[in-house]
Amino acid sequence: MTEPHPGELPIQSEADIVMARRAVRNAATALGFGITDVTRIVTAASELTRNIYQYARSGAMRWRALHVKGRVGLELVFEDCGPGIPDVARAMEKGFSSSKGLGMGLPGAKRLMDEMSVWSEVGKGTTVQVRKWLKK
Amino acid sequence: MAAESISVIKLRNLLLVTVPPDPDDDTVSALQEQVLEAMARHEAKGLVLDISTVQILDSFFARTIAETVQMVALMGGRTVLAGMRASVAVTATQLGLTLGGALMALDVDRAFDRLQAVPTLGGGV
Repeated sequence: MTEPHPGELPIQSEADIVMARRAVRNAATALGFGITDVTRIVTAASELTRNIYQYARSGAMRWRALHVKGRVGLELVFEDCGPGIPDVARAMEKGFSSSKGLGMGLPGAKRLMDEMSVWSEVGKGTTVQVRKWLKK
Repeated sequence: MAAESISVIKLRNLLLVTVPPDPDDDTVSALQEQVLEAMARHEAKGLVLDISTVQILDSFFARTIAETVQMVALMGGRTVLAGMRASVAVTATQLGLTLGGALMALDVDRAFDRLQAVPTLGGGV
Protein backbone atom coordinates (compact mmCIF):
# COMPACT_ATOMS: atom_id res chain seq x y z
CA MET A 1 0.00 0.00 0.00
CA THR A 2 1.19 3.46 -0.91
CA GLU A 3 -0.42 6.51 0.52
CA PRO A 4 -2.09 8.31 -2.41
CA HIS A 5 -1.67 12.10 -2.46
CA PRO A 6 -4.88 13.99 -1.87
CA GLY A 7 -6.07 15.70 -4.99
CA GLU A 8 -8.68 17.78 -6.69
CA LEU A 9 -10.08 17.62 -10.19
CA PRO A 10 -12.37 20.15 -11.84
CA ILE A 11 -15.48 18.65 -13.46
CA GLN A 12 -16.34 20.83 -16.43
CA SER A 13 -16.83 18.55 -19.37
CA GLU A 14 -18.02 15.08 -20.16
CA ALA A 15 -14.38 14.02 -20.64
CA ASP A 16 -13.69 14.95 -17.01
CA ILE A 17 -15.95 12.05 -15.94
CA VAL A 18 -13.35 9.68 -17.40
CA MET A 19 -10.53 11.68 -15.76
CA ALA A 20 -12.31 11.41 -12.42
CA ARG A 21 -12.71 7.65 -12.81
CA ARG A 22 -8.98 7.31 -13.51
CA ALA A 23 -7.94 9.47 -10.56
CA VAL A 24 -10.20 7.52 -8.21
CA ARG A 25 -9.05 4.18 -9.59
CA ASN A 26 -5.41 5.12 -8.98
CA ALA A 27 -6.08 6.39 -5.45
CA ALA A 28 -8.19 3.37 -4.45
CA THR A 29 -5.71 0.89 -5.92
CA ALA A 30 -2.77 2.63 -4.19
CA LEU A 31 -4.59 2.38 -0.85
CA GLY A 32 -4.87 -1.36 -1.27
CA PHE A 33 -8.53 -1.85 -2.16
CA GLY A 34 -9.31 -5.09 -4.00
CA ILE A 35 -10.62 -5.19 -7.54
CA THR A 36 -14.30 -5.41 -6.55
CA ASP A 37 -14.13 -2.49 -4.13
CA VAL A 38 -12.10 -0.47 -6.64
CA THR A 39 -14.85 -1.09 -9.19
CA ARG A 40 -17.55 -0.06 -6.67
CA ILE A 41 -15.70 3.15 -5.77
CA VAL A 42 -14.96 4.07 -9.40
CA THR A 43 -18.57 3.41 -10.38
CA ALA A 44 -19.86 5.60 -7.54
CA ALA A 45 -17.44 8.34 -8.64
CA SER A 46 -18.70 8.03 -12.19
CA GLU A 47 -22.33 8.47 -11.09
CA LEU A 48 -21.54 11.44 -8.85
CA THR A 49 -19.33 13.29 -11.35
CA ARG A 50 -22.00 12.76 -13.99
CA ASN A 51 -24.53 14.30 -11.58
CA ILE A 52 -22.33 17.40 -11.36
CA TYR A 53 -21.95 17.62 -15.11
CA GLN A 54 -25.66 17.00 -15.77
CA TYR A 55 -27.22 19.23 -13.13
CA ALA A 56 -24.62 21.87 -12.31
CA ARG A 57 -22.47 21.86 -15.47
CA SER A 58 -19.33 22.39 -13.41
CA GLY A 59 -17.89 21.55 -10.04
CA ALA A 60 -15.03 19.62 -8.54
CA MET A 61 -14.08 16.28 -7.05
CA ARG A 62 -11.61 15.98 -4.18
CA TRP A 63 -10.14 12.83 -2.74
CA ARG A 64 -8.01 11.94 0.28
CA ALA A 65 -6.95 8.95 2.31
CA LEU A 66 -8.46 8.52 5.77
CA HIS A 67 -6.80 7.10 8.87
CA VAL A 68 -9.25 6.86 11.74
CA LYS A 69 -8.63 4.66 14.79
CA GLY A 70 -6.49 2.24 12.86
CA ARG A 71 -8.90 2.06 9.97
CA VAL A 72 -7.89 3.11 6.47
CA GLY A 73 -10.32 4.53 3.97
CA LEU A 74 -10.85 6.72 0.95
CA GLU A 75 -12.99 9.84 1.00
CA LEU A 76 -14.38 11.48 -2.11
CA VAL A 77 -16.11 14.86 -2.07
CA PHE A 78 -18.16 16.15 -4.99
CA GLU A 79 -18.94 19.83 -4.90
CA ASP A 80 -20.88 22.09 -7.21
CA CYS A 81 -22.54 25.49 -7.23
CA GLY A 82 -25.50 24.23 -9.23
CA PRO A 83 -29.26 24.47 -8.66
CA GLY A 84 -29.19 22.36 -5.49
CA ILE A 85 -31.55 19.56 -4.49
CA PRO A 86 -34.91 20.73 -3.05
CA ASP A 87 -35.63 17.42 -1.31
CA VAL A 88 -32.51 15.38 -0.55
CA ALA A 89 -34.48 12.55 1.08
CA ARG A 90 -36.55 12.15 -2.07
CA ALA A 91 -33.46 12.31 -4.29
CA MET A 92 -32.09 9.40 -2.28
CA GLU A 93 -35.02 7.18 -3.24
CA LYS A 94 -34.28 4.63 -5.91
CA GLY A 95 -36.04 5.46 -9.13
CA PHE A 96 -36.35 9.16 -8.42
CA SER A 97 -34.69 11.36 -10.96
CA SER A 98 -35.38 14.83 -12.22
CA SER A 99 -33.37 14.37 -15.40
CA LYS A 100 -32.90 11.79 -18.10
CA GLY A 101 -30.69 9.63 -15.93
CA LEU A 102 -31.77 6.37 -14.45
CA GLY A 103 -32.42 7.85 -11.03
CA MET A 104 -29.55 5.81 -9.68
CA GLY A 105 -27.01 8.56 -9.16
CA LEU A 106 -27.33 9.24 -5.45
CA PRO A 107 -28.97 6.06 -4.17
CA GLY A 108 -26.76 3.91 -6.43
CA ALA A 109 -23.59 5.56 -5.19
CA LYS A 110 -24.76 5.16 -1.60
CA ARG A 111 -25.21 1.41 -2.00
CA LEU A 112 -21.72 1.08 -3.45
CA MET A 113 -20.01 3.05 -0.68
CA ASP A 114 -19.92 2.63 3.12
CA GLU A 115 -20.94 6.17 4.04
CA MET A 116 -22.60 9.04 2.27
CA SER A 117 -23.50 12.57 3.37
CA VAL A 118 -25.31 15.10 1.24
CA TRP A 119 -25.58 18.83 1.87
CA SER A 120 -27.61 20.87 -0.53
CA GLU A 121 -29.19 24.27 -0.70
CA VAL A 122 -31.46 25.38 -3.52
CA GLY A 123 -29.75 28.03 -5.61
CA LYS A 124 -26.42 27.53 -3.83
CA GLY A 125 -25.17 24.11 -4.70
CA THR A 126 -24.61 20.56 -3.55
CA THR A 127 -21.84 18.71 -1.75
CA VAL A 128 -21.75 14.94 -1.62
CA GLN A 129 -19.22 13.15 0.55
CA VAL A 130 -18.69 9.40 0.28
CA ARG A 131 -16.32 7.07 2.09
CA LYS A 132 -15.18 3.51 1.68
CA TRP A 133 -13.20 1.67 4.35
CA LEU A 134 -10.58 -0.91 3.70
CA LYS A 135 -11.59 -4.33 5.05
CA LYS A 136 -8.94 -5.83 7.26
CA MET B 1 -10.96 10.42 -31.46
CA ALA B 2 -11.59 7.49 -29.19
CA ALA B 3 -14.80 6.61 -30.98
CA GLU B 4 -12.83 5.59 -34.07
CA SER B 5 -11.07 2.83 -32.18
CA ILE B 6 -14.25 0.74 -32.11
CA SER B 7 -14.35 -1.86 -34.84
CA VAL B 8 -17.43 -3.81 -35.82
CA ILE B 9 -16.45 -7.20 -37.17
CA LYS B 10 -18.83 -9.28 -39.24
CA LEU B 11 -18.50 -13.03 -38.75
CA ARG B 12 -20.89 -15.06 -40.84
CA ASN B 13 -24.27 -13.50 -40.06
CA LEU B 14 -23.26 -12.05 -36.70
CA LEU B 15 -21.53 -8.87 -35.59
CA LEU B 16 -18.74 -8.78 -33.01
CA VAL B 17 -17.88 -5.57 -31.22
CA THR B 18 -15.17 -5.23 -28.59
CA VAL B 19 -16.08 -2.54 -26.08
CA PRO B 20 -13.07 -0.50 -24.86
CA PRO B 21 -12.08 -0.76 -21.16
CA ASP B 22 -13.06 2.71 -19.96
CA PRO B 23 -15.06 4.48 -22.67
CA ASP B 24 -16.31 8.04 -22.31
CA ASP B 25 -19.97 8.88 -22.99
CA ASP B 26 -19.28 9.94 -26.59
CA THR B 27 -17.58 6.64 -27.35
CA VAL B 28 -20.50 4.71 -25.84
CA SER B 29 -22.97 6.68 -27.97
CA ALA B 30 -20.82 6.26 -31.08
CA LEU B 31 -20.66 2.53 -30.44
CA GLN B 32 -24.46 2.35 -30.47
CA GLU B 33 -24.67 4.22 -33.77
CA GLN B 34 -22.00 2.11 -35.44
CA VAL B 35 -23.63 -1.11 -34.28
CA LEU B 36 -27.07 -0.18 -35.62
CA GLU B 37 -25.63 1.02 -38.91
CA ALA B 38 -23.69 -2.25 -39.29
CA MET B 39 -26.76 -4.32 -38.36
CA ALA B 40 -28.65 -2.74 -41.26
CA ARG B 41 -25.75 -2.85 -43.73
CA HIS B 42 -24.84 -6.50 -43.13
CA GLU B 43 -28.37 -7.73 -42.46
CA ALA B 44 -26.91 -9.35 -39.37
CA LYS B 45 -28.94 -11.75 -37.25
CA GLY B 46 -27.24 -11.04 -33.99
CA LEU B 47 -24.73 -9.00 -32.06
CA VAL B 48 -22.01 -10.07 -29.66
CA LEU B 49 -20.71 -7.31 -27.40
CA ASP B 50 -17.38 -8.37 -25.94
CA ILE B 51 -17.23 -6.57 -22.58
CA SER B 52 -14.41 -8.68 -21.15
CA THR B 53 -12.06 -5.70 -20.85
CA VAL B 54 -14.71 -3.31 -19.50
CA GLN B 55 -13.64 -2.11 -16.05
CA ILE B 56 -16.70 -0.14 -15.11
CA LEU B 57 -20.37 -0.16 -16.04
CA ASP B 58 -22.22 2.89 -14.76
CA SER B 59 -25.87 3.82 -15.26
CA PHE B 60 -25.26 5.80 -18.48
CA PHE B 61 -23.28 2.96 -20.05
CA ALA B 62 -25.85 0.38 -18.93
CA ARG B 63 -28.76 2.44 -20.25
CA THR B 64 -27.06 2.81 -23.65
CA ILE B 65 -26.42 -0.94 -23.80
CA ALA B 66 -30.04 -1.66 -22.81
CA GLU B 67 -31.25 0.71 -25.55
CA THR B 68 -28.95 -0.92 -28.08
CA VAL B 69 -30.25 -4.37 -27.14
CA GLN B 70 -33.82 -3.17 -27.71
CA MET B 71 -32.96 -1.46 -31.00
CA VAL B 72 -31.16 -4.54 -32.28
CA ALA B 73 -34.24 -6.59 -31.27
CA LEU B 74 -36.46 -4.25 -33.29
CA MET B 75 -34.19 -4.95 -36.26
CA GLY B 76 -34.72 -8.67 -35.78
CA GLY B 77 -31.47 -9.47 -33.99
CA ARG B 78 -30.42 -10.84 -30.62
CA THR B 79 -27.64 -9.45 -28.48
CA VAL B 80 -25.27 -11.37 -26.25
CA LEU B 81 -22.98 -9.64 -23.77
CA ALA B 82 -19.83 -11.69 -23.43
CA GLY B 83 -17.30 -11.83 -20.64
CA MET B 84 -18.56 -9.50 -17.95
CA ARG B 85 -15.95 -9.36 -15.19
CA ALA B 86 -16.98 -10.56 -11.74
CA SER B 87 -16.23 -7.17 -10.18
CA VAL B 88 -18.42 -5.46 -12.77
CA ALA B 89 -21.23 -7.98 -12.24
CA VAL B 90 -21.17 -7.40 -8.47
CA THR B 91 -21.21 -3.63 -8.89
CA ALA B 92 -23.92 -3.63 -11.57
CA THR B 93 -26.16 -5.76 -9.36
CA GLN B 94 -25.67 -3.52 -6.31
CA LEU B 95 -26.33 -0.47 -8.44
CA GLY B 96 -29.55 -2.09 -9.66
CA LEU B 97 -28.65 -1.98 -13.33
CA THR B 98 -30.63 -3.94 -15.89
CA LEU B 99 -29.42 -4.59 -19.39
CA GLY B 100 -32.59 -4.69 -21.43
CA GLY B 101 -32.94 -8.44 -21.62
CA ALA B 102 -29.59 -9.11 -23.26
CA LEU B 103 -28.39 -12.69 -23.23
CA MET B 104 -25.20 -13.18 -21.27
CA ALA B 105 -22.26 -15.48 -21.91
CA LEU B 106 -18.98 -16.16 -20.15
CA ASP B 107 -16.91 -15.46 -23.25
CA VAL B 108 -17.18 -14.67 -26.96
CA ASP B 109 -16.98 -18.34 -27.94
CA ARG B 110 -20.02 -19.22 -25.82
CA ALA B 111 -21.78 -16.07 -27.01
CA PHE B 112 -21.58 -17.31 -30.60
CA ASP B 113 -22.88 -20.69 -29.47
CA ARG B 114 -25.84 -19.01 -27.81
CA LEU B 115 -26.74 -17.03 -30.92
CA GLN B 116 -26.38 -20.00 -33.25
CA ALA B 117 -28.61 -21.99 -30.90
CA VAL B 118 -31.44 -19.48 -31.07
CA PRO B 119 -33.89 -21.15 -33.46
CA THR B 120 -35.97 -18.12 -34.43
CA LEU B 121 -33.66 -15.17 -34.38
CA GLY B 122 -35.48 -12.05 -33.35
CA GLY B 123 -38.58 -14.05 -32.60
CA GLY B 124 -39.71 -12.42 -29.42
CA VAL B 125 -38.69 -12.52 -25.77
